[in-house]
Amino acid sequence: MNINISHSPGNAAAHVHLQPGESFTAEGGAMIAMSSGIQVETTTHKRGSGGVLKAIKRALTGESFFLNHFTAGQGEAEVILGTQLVGDMITYDLAPSMNLIVQSGSYVASHPSVDLDLSWQGFGKALFSGEAMFWIRCSGQGPLVLSAFGSVYPVEVNGEYIVDTGHIVAFEETLNFSITKAGKSWMSSFLGGEGLVCKFNGQGTVWCQSHNADNFGTMLGPLLRPRKN
Amino acid sequence: MQAHIQGAPVFAHIHVDLEPGETVVAESDAMSSMSADLDMAAKFNGGFFSGLFKKFFGGESLFVNHFTNNTSGTRRVTLVQATPGNIRQFDLNDASICLQPGAFVASTPGVKFKAKWAGFRSWFSGEGLFKLLVSGSGTLWYGAYGEMLEKHVQGEFIVDTAHLVAYEPQMKLKVQLAGGIFSSMFGGEGFVTRVEGTGLIVVQTRSMSGLAGWLNPRLTG
Repeated sequence: MNINISHSPGNAAAHVHLQPGESFTAEGGAMIAMSSGIQVETTTHKRGSGGVLKAIKRALTGESFFLNHFTAGQGEAEVILGTQLVGDMITYDLAPSMNLIVQSGSYVASHPSVDLDLSWQGFGKALFSGEAMFWIRCSGQGPLVLSAFGSVYPVEVNGEYIVDTGHIVAFEETLNFSITKAGKSWMSSFLGGEGLVCKFNGQGTVWCQSHNADNFGTMLGPLLRPRKN
Repeated sequence: MQAHIQGAPVFAHIHVDLEPGETVVAESDAMSSMSADLDMAAKFNGGFFSGLFKKFFGGESLFVNHFTNNTSGTRRVTLVQATPGNIRQFDLNDASICLQPGAFVASTPGVKFKAKWAGFRSWFSGEGLFKLLVSGSGTLWYGAYGEMLEKHVQGEFIVDTAHLVAYEPQMKLKVQLAGGIFSSMFGGEGFVTRVEGTGLIVVQTRSMSGLAGWLNPRLTG
């Protein structure tokens, strides 16, 4: 399997090249084009494991309820993946020594030997992090494809670093975050419009998205007409 | 202070590296990430009354955030606007520029903001009664939805009102209908801004109201 990202960062697409018989898993709705010889199987779980319960858990993370498994036939094949919002995509090679926690809306696709599981980060974080209720914990080995609203920049954390809510794409499991205030005082944090932020601590990399989809939505929303019923 | 604009033109964001003792001022909610030991404080946008004035009449935020490096090393804060698009750096050197509401992203502390009377005509077009005059010395960062293009105007030039981002203060703005009553109502242009004088204007290639105008008829339930 070989993955390359084209049209980065504005309108990125992931091209997944498969050898005969190879397969990979993608979020439902991510495929925008593919070779004709590919077999697609739609399940509510990772192939050969889990079941409906896992699918419900995944639906709760804000991900699609369904996963698609693409398998190449006799010849080499290509699947092209995209996302709903404009923005960049990145690939990440997962190693067994380092698990990755992915913000659930950023998961696009993964190698079959990558295990996807839900990571409940606690009530406070679920309610206030500005992200989905659950996070996806990726373990095992192989490539992953992630997406972002805007471009992606990595931050090497050694000690503490603050990321605003709504800007997290993924982080290494050696990092931990807590929800806190952005300024010196609560007053300052709310008056300044920053409100709550995520404070990371530990040593590892966090990938941030340059733009905040919620902020863009909040700006666009009032310009839209109310829906007539 | 070192500032790097990355992700331009579609997703421009600013990495600001602050040396010890340095401060950068940013629009409310512009911070996307920062070193945990930077001090962030919300302050009135140019004093209490001036801030209130600018919020209600200039369409600006009441508060801005001051990010200050009180450590002994270089620290980074990353700033961004709400819309995708480009961000420009403008070194003032005692020059001044007028910004349309929402264009301000960040500045160095020596940059001053003043709300100035823009006239009733401006208010009728939805642009507010006051315009934001940026002066002083230092660096200003402002942004737009889409890309920004510069036009040197001599005499007069017509700009769609939603697309104007910034202009030199000597330029006079007059809001008018795009054509006659008929073409203004049905031609999709509505109000336009007539810019008069000799100087620079900056227009954005896309507008949020344009995006909303395209989306609205398609929001059938």
